[in-house]
Amino acid sequence: MEVVGRSPEAVRDAVLTKSSGKRPILIAEPRYISPDYFRSLQSVERVLSHPRPDDYRSAPVGVTDAFAAVARTGSVCVDIGADIAGYVSLLPRLHIVVVDIKKLVFRPSDLFQLEPFARPTFQEDFVFISGPSATADMGPLVRGVHGPHELHILVLG
Amino acid sequence: MPKQVKSPREIAAKETKEILRRAIRFALETESAAVRHNTRTFNRSRYRATGSLPDYDALKDEARRIKEHSLANRKALIQQLSESVTRNGGHFFFARDAREACQYVQEVCKRHQVRSMVKGKSMTSEEIHLNTALERAGIRVVETDLAEFILQAADEQPSHIVGPAIHYSRERITALFRRKFQTDLPLDTGEDLTRFARERLRSDFLAADAGFTGANLVSAECGSLLLVESEANIRLTCIAPPLHIALTGLEKIVPSRREFAPFIELLAASGTGQPLTSYTSVFRPPLPVPVVDFRGAGPATREFHMVILDNGREALAQDARLSEALYCIRCSACLNSCANFQVLGGHGFGGATYSGGIGATWEAATTGQLKLARFSDLCTGCSRCVTQCPVRIDISGLNVELRSRLNHLAPLSLTARVLHLLLGVPSVEDASSQQVFFAHYDRVAHWGTVSAPVSNFAIKIPGARWFLEKSFGIDRRRHLAPFPKKTWVDVAGNESTAKTETRQGPEVLVLADVFTNYGAPQRGLDAIRCLRAAGVRVRLTKSLPDGRAALSQGMLETARIQAQALSDYLVSENAAGQRLLVVEPSVLAMILREYHNLLSAEASAQLQNSTSDLVEFLSRYLAGEAGDPRVIFDIRKFSPGPKIFYHAHCQQRAVSDPSITVEFLQRLGFQVTCSQVECCGMAGSFGYKKDFYDVSQAVSEELVEQWEAAESANGAHTLLASGISCIEQLQGATGRPVLHPVELLARLL
Repeated sequence: MEVVGRSPEAVRDAVLTKSSGKRPILIAEPRYISPDYFRSLQSVERVLSHPRPDDYRSAPVGVTDAFAAVARTGSVCVDIGADIAGYVSLLPRLHIVVVDIKKLVFRPSDLFQLEPFARPTFQEDFVFISGPSATADMGPLVRGVHGPHELHILVLG
Repeated sequence: MPKQVKSPREIAAKETKEILRRAIRFALETESAAVRHNTRTFNRSRYRATGSLPDYDALKDEARRIKEHSLANRKALIQQLSESVTRNGGHFFFARDAREACQYVQEVCKRHQVRSMVKGKSMTSEEIHLNTALERAGIRVVETDLAEFILQAADEQPSHIVGPAIHYSRERITALFRRKFQTDLPLDTGEDLTRFARERLRSDFLAADAGFTGANLVSAECGSLLLVESEANIRLTCIAPPLHIALTGLEKIVPSRREFAPFIELLAASGTGQPLTSYTSVFRPPLPVPVVDFRGAGPATREFHMVILDNGREALAQDARLSEALYCIRCSACLNSCANFQVLGGHGFGGATYSGGIGATWEAATTGQLKLARFSDLCTGCSRCVTQCPVRIDISGLNVELRSRLNHLAPLSLTARVLHLLLGVPSVEDASSQQVFFAHYDRVAHWGTVSAPVSNFAIKIPGARWFLEKSFGIDRRRHLAPFPKKTWVDVAGNESTAKTETRQGPEVLVLADVFTNYGAPQRGLDAIRCLRAAGVRVRLTKSLPDGRAALSQGMLETARIQAQALSDYLVSENAAGQRLLVVEPSVLAMILREYHNLLSAEASAQLQNSTSDLVEFLSRYLAGEAGDPRVIFDIRKFSPGPKIFYHAHCQQRAVSDPSITVEFLQRLGFQVTCSQVECCGMAGSFGYKKDFYDVSQAVSEELVEQWEAAESANGAHTLLASGISCIEQLQGATGRPVLHPVELLARLL
């Protein structure tokens, strides 16, 4: 996790650093931060906003936003009921997620309590993501199973 | 010599005691090492995670309330859910039994010409044997949870509800994959094995025509599912194929999504011991996002089917004494905190689908066959799981009830009838002669004591132990303490008039529980001496059975009669409402935890409010008094030194707080190392029984290792334990004397 500046260039630079040259990068149109934050990124070569099935199969990096972050559990909440964020946050090996510090709550139950007051904070279809996919079924703990092997959270501070 | 077990499938359905014996043997010989490692890792993580939850107890209360409310309103919730699912564009089906559920899923698959299905882990689908049904219909079923992937390759049933393959070590998985998949790829580390499975399964995910999942909870109001996982296989199963079928039991429905909240943190903390697992999904299928055409099959629309299963749950809900089992959220805290489960796993201690103490009720309910709950015999009633259950299910209580019902499957044998006559007790319910023997320990001990030393001599006659093993299943390898010539009550009666009270402290009643009375009269005297030295005025009761021994045999009627008699006696004896102190933790827990099921609410509440652990009472009393307790209890009189290794009784930890004893001992100058095990393995009569002797010994190993580690790090320790059976177990396992806290304290006087 790291804090990034509130500018499209800062977001772009952080994403490119984290992806360390890997391409293509899939991005899902942000809904909970201004779409402008992804503008600079979108003009980078081999950054795809409309991936085809084969791109999903092969892309090593996916970038999405999140509508909330949860302090106690270290989670981000990604909307999987809109656009392609459900795929982009799941299929590539590296998932980079951008969340606004203003969307930070203390614990998961806070989100449920906020519901009537803070729509659209609480989405219909979402996932609390608290780490890369992992398993202990093969003996020791292994990171990287059917979903991302790495998760990077970029916090707009 | 029992027949060799070739596959765990052979011992899945434990219909007879013989199958249970074979299963125990198989589990101890083949699977124990991996199971120990995995369950104890889960267990330690859980203590850490629940310890860091800001309001763990309040969350548990809330979760329990939600489950109670939801189950009470199940019919309305099922109706409401069917409407929500339909409103969302999905399809709803209520399956009365396994056959209906399988048939429905088959039909949906047939309609969609499903050739392959990817599946998330679902115990409910194991329960209805869905894979077999689908494969029979020509559908390729791919288990994608890595533990289920292992089990599918091995053709075995789950051994744990959260980690179904915890009985597999990394080495055994490597061997299995080599054999099964005939591959030369590297498979020598967890990473290798995971990579192998991932690459194999990724193409299955993207090619699948259908995805199948269970659900941790379902919201009736909006039809949302809660799905908790770490591997991302469930997320993929829900989003990649166009067709999603979810199956879950009717007990998983809650009124709305708001009720998911307490469970989200509780499940992760209680299960794997994490703040949250990697993925906790909350969504209303069908997902309103396009299907990516990975299959090359052209555009497809999403379709969702919600199957809610009864399969014995409705009957269970109407079974007042067992219905609590339906609150289970399948977190596995009870399994991981169970000392017996830690050495056996679910193939030894479990049925075809559900494992451990909670599993016995579930197996019986979902198969409709009470005899399949036979493995409930492995629940010792230590109740460690009860304190760990996030919805506070009285799992040991469920198993006592099952045992009682199982007892009634077989009529009282002639031997058991004769035993009743010999012991001079009426026979009020069906039970085996072994159960009658242990349930009436007070009578056995009474005759042993009045006939001592003849009884103690008789036990040494060649063939006597063989006879005890044959007739009552008492393992001949187990040391039997000799009967005393005089009981606690006998000797205390002689002593009490000799002492005059020096201080005017509080007046208490000390319960002459049958275990201390017959098994350790000197310990009883020490208890009284300690209290008197502290200025407490003591009266000792008569020695009456409290019902614990009968309860643990599932002899509920006998337990009730004994509890009632003791309660009546205490009411007449204790008109002044003095505090009742108990030395033996299993008796204390009986009064505090079990009497509310056996006695009137008024009688049990009165006893609950007035009964305490004797040492804890003494510790608290002296802490509240002016002056230094070291004046009374002088550590310098104890020559073995200040280092203590203390094992607190399992049931004591459920009803009281052993740290009070520890702090008191520390105040006196002792350095106390506490055991970190759930139970010593003896658990009353459990470890004496021939069928369970090996389990009991296996459980004790960890305790002995911890004691040895303490000694190798810091030199000799005095062994201390608070229960009569823990003391026996520790003495047997270490060959060293073991003191009860009152015996230690009495040596300081």
